[in-house]
Parts: sequence; C-alpha cells; structure tokens
Amino acid sequence: MSQRVKLGKLWDIYGTLCILLVIVVLFSALSPTYFTRPENIVQIFLQSSITILIALGEFFPILIAGIDLSVGAVLALTGMITAQLMVAGFDPTLAVLLGGVGGGLVLGAINGLLVNFTGLHPFIITLGTNAIFRGVTMIISGASPVFGFSYDFVNTVTGFVGFVPVPVIFALSFAVVLWFFTAKTRLGRNIYAVGGNKESAFYSGIDVKLHTLIVFMISGLCAGLAGVLSIARLGAAEPAAGTGFETYAIAAVIIGGTSFFGGKGRIPSVVIGGLIIGTINNGLNILRVPTFYQLVVMGGLIISAVALDRLIGRMR
Amino acid sequence: MSNLAPNTAGPASTEAAAPIVRMVGIEKHFNNVAVLKGVNLDIRPGEVHVLLGENGAGKSTLMKILTGIHEPTGGEIVIDGVSRPLVTPREASEAGISIIYQELSVINELSALENLFVGRLPVKRRLGIPMVDWKVMEGEARAIIGRLGLADLDLNKPVGEMPIAHRQIIEIAKSLMKNVRLLVMDEPTSSLTSVETERLFTLVRQLKAEGTAVLFISHKLDEVREIGDSFSVLKDGVSTGHGRIADTTNDDLVRLMVGRVVKQRFLAEEPIDRTSQPVLKVENVTSADRKRVRDVSFEVYHGEVLGFAGLVGSGRTDLMNCLFGAEPRADGKIILNGADITPKSPIEAVKSGMAYLTENRRQTGFTPNFTIEGNIAVTKSVKDAPFRGTWGLVDHKAERVVAEEQRRQLSIRCAGIDQSILELSGGNQQKVLVAKWMSIAPSVIIFDEPTRGIDVGAKSQIHEIIRALANAGKAVIMVSSELPEILAVCDRVAVFRNGRIMDTLAEESILSVAMRDGK
Repeated sequence: MSQRVKLGKLWDIYGTLCILLVIVVLFSALSPTYFTRPENIVQIFLQSSITILIALGEFFPILIAGIDLSVGAVLALTGMITAQLMVAGFDPTLAVLLGGVGGGLVLGAINGLLVNFTGLHPFIITLGTNAIFRGVTMIISGASPVFGFSYDFVNTVTGFVGFVPVPVIFALSFAVVLWFFTAKTRLGRNIYAVGGNKESAFYSGIDVKLHTLIVFMISGLCAGLAGVLSIARLGAAEPAAGTGFETYAIAAVIIGGTSFFGGKGRIPSVVIGGLIIGTINNGLNILRVPTFYQLVVMGGLIISAVALDRLIGRMR
Repeated sequence: MSNLAPNTAGPASTEAAAPIVRMVGIEKHFNNVAVLKGVNLDIRPGEVHVLLGENGAGKSTLMKILTGIHEPTGGEIVIDGVSRPLVTPREASEAGISIIYQELSVINELSALENLFVGRLPVKRRLGIPMVDWKVMEGEARAIIGRLGLADLDLNKPVGEMPIAHRQIIEIAKSLMKNVRLLVMDEPTSSLTSVETERLFTLVRQLKAEGTAVLFISHKLDEVREIGDSFSVLKDGVSTGHGRIADTTNDDLVRLMVGRVVKQRFLAEEPIDRTSQPVLKVENVTSADRKRVRDVSFEVYHGEVLGFAGLVGSGRTDLMNCLFGAEPRADGKIILNGADITPKSPIEAVKSGMAYLTENRRQTGFTPNFTIEGNIAVTKSVKDAPFRGTWGLVDHKAERVVAEEQRRQLSIRCAGIDQSILELSGGNQQKVLVAKWMSIAPSVIIFDEPTRGIDVGAKSQIHEIIRALANAGKAVIMVSSELPEILAVCDRVAVFRNGRIMDTLAEESILSVAMRDGK
C-alpha cells in the first residue's frame, strides 16, 4: 500500500541486520587495525555460538508470550552431567546424547509440565527452576569443577572445518533447522498461533498444553547443546557456568525483533541478535574495556539497540 | 446515490429546534483513500437521531471527527450556529458532546464511585493535607445514578464485577456529570439482554425529554424503529438518505444501507423428516460443576437448524463448550450419524468433524498475528495432521487455493488473502472465521452469536451459509440472543434457562411467537 507500510515490513526483516552493521562500523572505526581482521571475525562467530544457541531456544518460550529464565542453569547442569558421565567412563557420544540432549529435553519438559499443571506464568516457574537446577548442579559437583575429558571429545567439538570452527557450524546449522521448523512445519505455525492468542488457538483445535511442553523442551534442548559446547570450550564443567546467560539470550531474542507479547519473530533475526551480543563482547575486549565496565556498556547497548528498533518500528 | 434516497425530508426539514450540531460536506482521506465523501448530518436537541450503515460505511470515522479524534480533510462542522473546519477533543467536550463507545471505557479495577470521578476527585483538607472527599462524591453520585434508575447500586464495588449493562449506565452517568447536550452511543445494545435494552431505552427517552440530543448507532432495525426519531444512512462514505423513521419502512432502510433488497427469512423450504435417524444426537450432557449445564439432551435432524434462545448467562455457551470438548463434562454423549464421537478436547472435536464458531471473535476466534490465509488454514492443517495436530509440513500452495476459494464464495472484502485479519471490518473477520470452519468440511457446526456486531449485508450472507449447510445435511446449531435472528433462521428452537432446555418449539409455535413479535 503506502510507502510507510513497506518501510515497516523491510525493517521487520532487515532491522536487526542494520543494527549489527552500525555496531560493526562503530568498532571498526574505534579499532581499525585489529577488529576487522579475518581471524577476529571468526572469533566473533565463535564467541557468539553459545549465545546464538541458547537464544534460538529462548526464542520459542518468548514466541508464546512466555519466557525461560532457566537456560543458564540448564546449560550448567547438562554440561555437568555430560562431564561426569564422561569422567565416569561413558563413551563421549553417549554422554552427549544422555547429558546434553536428553538432559536438556528432560529439564525443558520439567519447565513445560510445571507451567501446564500449575497454570502459573513461565516467568515464575523458570525463576524457580533456575534456582533448583543451579542448586542441583552444585550438589552433584560438590561445587567444584569437573575436568579431564578425552582429547577426542574436546578436539572434535572445538575443532575447525576449513577455517570455520565446529561450534559455529553447529549453531548455524541448528538455526537453519529451526528456521525450516518455524517457517514450514505445521507444529511451527501452531506455535505462532498459540503465541498470537492462546484461547483462539485452543478453540481452533490446537492442543495448547502439548505445544507449551514442546516449546520448553526445545528451549531445554538448545541450552543442553550449549552446555556441551561450553564444557568442550572450557575443558571443564564449571558449576557456575552460564550464570547470567539468560540475560544475553533474552537480549538476543528481543534485539532480533521478537515481540514480548508473543506471536511475532523470526529465527534469522535471532541469530543476528546473538551475533550482535557477541560482537559487542568482542569489540569491548579488543578496546580493552575492563570486565566490570563491559557489563555496564553491554547493558546500555542492549537497551539502545532495542529502543532504536522500537523507534524505527513505530515510524511506519 | 440520490436515486436510492427515499422520498422523505432532507436535512432542511421543518423542525422547530435549531440543530446542536450540523456536519456539512465532511470528507476524510486516509493515505489517499477517501473514507468519507461529503457526509451531512444534522442533530437536534430532544431528538434521537439514528446513524445507520454497514460496517466500513464510515460511521466510526464520522463519530471520531465529531469528537475531535480525527481531523476532517474537508467540510465544516457547525456547533450552535458557529461554523468551524474541525473540533478538538476539548472543544467537543466543552460543547457538551460525549460519546459512549461499544468497548466501554470504564476502568474495571476501580469502583463505580471512583470511575465517576476519575481525573477530578473532589478534595478536602485535613490538617492541611489534601484528601479525597468521599462524602461529596457519594452524594453527587447517588443523585445522578438514582436519576438513571439504579438507586440501589453498590457504588463501592469494582466495576469489573458488575454486569455490562450497569457499567454502561455508569458511563452514561459520567457523561451526564459533564452536562452532556449530545450523547453519542455506538451500538450500545450489542451485549445487553432484552430486559437491559428496554431499561436503556427508558433512560434514552428520559434524556430526550430533558432536551438532550442522542445520536444512536445500531445495526438492529427493530431497535432503531423503537427508539429513533430521525435517521441518516451512510453507505461507502456517502450519505444515502435522511428522514423521519416513522415515514420509512425497514426495507427502505436496508436498501439504503446495502444498496439491494436483502432476504429476511432463511427457513427450510422442504418439511423436515423427524422420524428418521437424527444427524446429531446429544444425550445427558452435564458440565463438570453440574450447575451451568444440567442433563441436556436433544437431536438435530437432516436439513434442520436448531436454535438456542435464552438470556445471556443462561448457560448456552457453556453447553456449546461442553459439546466441543472445550469445557470438562461430568456426563454426556454426542452421537453423529449413529457413531459416538464424544470429544474430550477441541482437537478431538475438530478431528471428528465438529466446527464451533465461538461467541467472541476477538477473544476466542481469530489469531491476530496471522493473515487471512493463515487464519483460514490453521484448523484444517491441524485436522489433517497426525500426532494431535502437530506432524507434517505446511502446504502453502494448497492453502492459498482454499483461502482464495473461500474468499470468493463468502465474498470476503479485503486487499488480498495476505492481508492481516486485524485490518478487516468485523463482518469480514467473521466471514474469515466462517471460512476457516468451512474449509474442514464439518458435519456438525455450532454458531454461537454468529452475527453479533456485524452489519445487515454480512448478516444475511451468514444466514444464507447457515441454511446452505443445513440443506447439505449437516447438523447446524445456532445460539443467538436476538430473537428476530432465531426466528429468521431456525426451524426449531430450544429455550434455555439455568443450564437446562425448558422447552423446544417447532414450526407452528415459532410462527405464533413470530406473529406476536411482529405485532
């Protein structure tokens, strides 16, 4: 119809990308020699891979107008279980399937079932399970890190294919799968319908509780896979791993233009949202901003990025 | 358009009183689309003026111009003889123009008293500290509410806990406190029972006697005839007629609104055989709480539309929810063509061929973030999918074909099937929902208040669809609080009260009721 409507639609699709470009240009100007080097670009993707992965999971609870605050704790607990299984002598593949994949799905299912049976907002449920999962991680590890896994495992997960790190390939291919899932499958579309209006979805024949369960299982699965990546990258399972990661995951999802009110959002934009978080982290490191100041800058940039998005989004 | 106008008096008629408000040649464009193309409207004191028109005719835009929310693109507004190109909300309010929207603007969490004084709480000083003067509030509120015939209303109860009719009266009281001279009411009766409507009309007559002008927007012609003195009709942004209600027939009004003659009756043309096996048989349905729905049994036969009449809150919607598996049952069986299909959840109901057009399209009907196509497609996709509606890929190509076909058949007015459903008028939204259910080719269809808040043209189309479904051998159930609608469409009527069917009327007795209704 009018020019404004078209602009709004374009911004929905490319807005997040524009924000990323602005941030890249900014850091390139501040650090012209180092930031734009190819090694650093690869590094940015590597640093972003875990954020992207948990943000991909977080996308789904937010899409149904909920939230998952437990992703950081799920990352720690699944990583810890996987590590302990490996140390106990399990084959790494089996350990990953049981601890990372299975653990993530089970913890996600616990969130989903609690939401369904109590009828409470996911915010409350996952606020609680976040503490519970973190506590369990501390209990089973005695609050100390677990290390000493096989080199095969560490090398495979942190290796390269050509010049691309395996975690990046992993996160991006998972994003493609989820993109296909949201755009092309019935289940994916049903989730959007649940996000738009739970009541009308229910009366249209969508099993809202089943879909809520699936949504939290996807979130758990992504956090579980991120848990595996994180122990491989660190070479150890830290009981405090992933603390505060839910903030980054939620920020990436929201910067990616996903609506907090549900029903609106796109996977590619969430990936770019994750890259934005990674880029900011990387850029601040390069500029040697001390860690504590980084937190402050990071928080400010998250707010500005989303504010900018809303401002432009409202101009249509 | 002038050839459509009946031979009645125009704006320059011979009334004694000068108009409070005249709107002359009002035009309004949105993004270069003309919504109003030279509309005239005269409203005189002590008169109920009815504004008629289908959804999308421009009534709401005109009202928004009158109350200062929209700026007109052209024309003039004359208030008490003073001409101006536009009014601001403040000027409108100072001139005593007050509007009561269909979606009431009372604040549900506040008490009636607080609502009446919102933004201008009277203050007294205690030890120099300003405090709310509840006594003054209570006194003023009592006086005004008493005048509106609700003297025993509990003013301290949160408004959200009151019936809609009471909330509406509080809203009217709010306008009265501001010395209203022109009260605009946008479809005020759409969610009232007939008793409440009658009470509202008494109130409107009282206001009229006090010299207040009332501008009344409604789709219901019977009501319009009962309450209105004069009328204006809008069609596609153009005034198509003015005049005195008493000099005009309903058929004339409909023709002015729709531009064609609309069919009024949709009953079965052939006698219904009630000796054969019923299409749908419902046995002893009781809701889980054993209160809202109690031991309801009925049958629907081939070619028949079964109506459910009754008051709002009598449990009709609860019964429909129980049939569809959307509400837990303590007991009950639903038998379709001899086979037990009793659904435990909506997904089971959909899978066994039931469709349910719910009462409230905004709350339980459409998916706001979807396009027209998405809204039509989602239920069929769930019905066709194994594993409780979750498995499989979306077939956009096939879905577009279905959506386009439905769009043509139901003549859904839209820019295209990729348009957001939020951009459609109420009637077209409703048609999209009808299309959604048509696309699963259901055997049992429940229509709960299918034409609430939609215009005459779309209404008769939906009635036609309902009849066509019955003729095609589907079991059709229709719940409606509008008796004329029930009489126009249903071959048999179950009268519902307190969760039970009190009586079932067939053709002859309906006819006698109909005769009485038409005087």
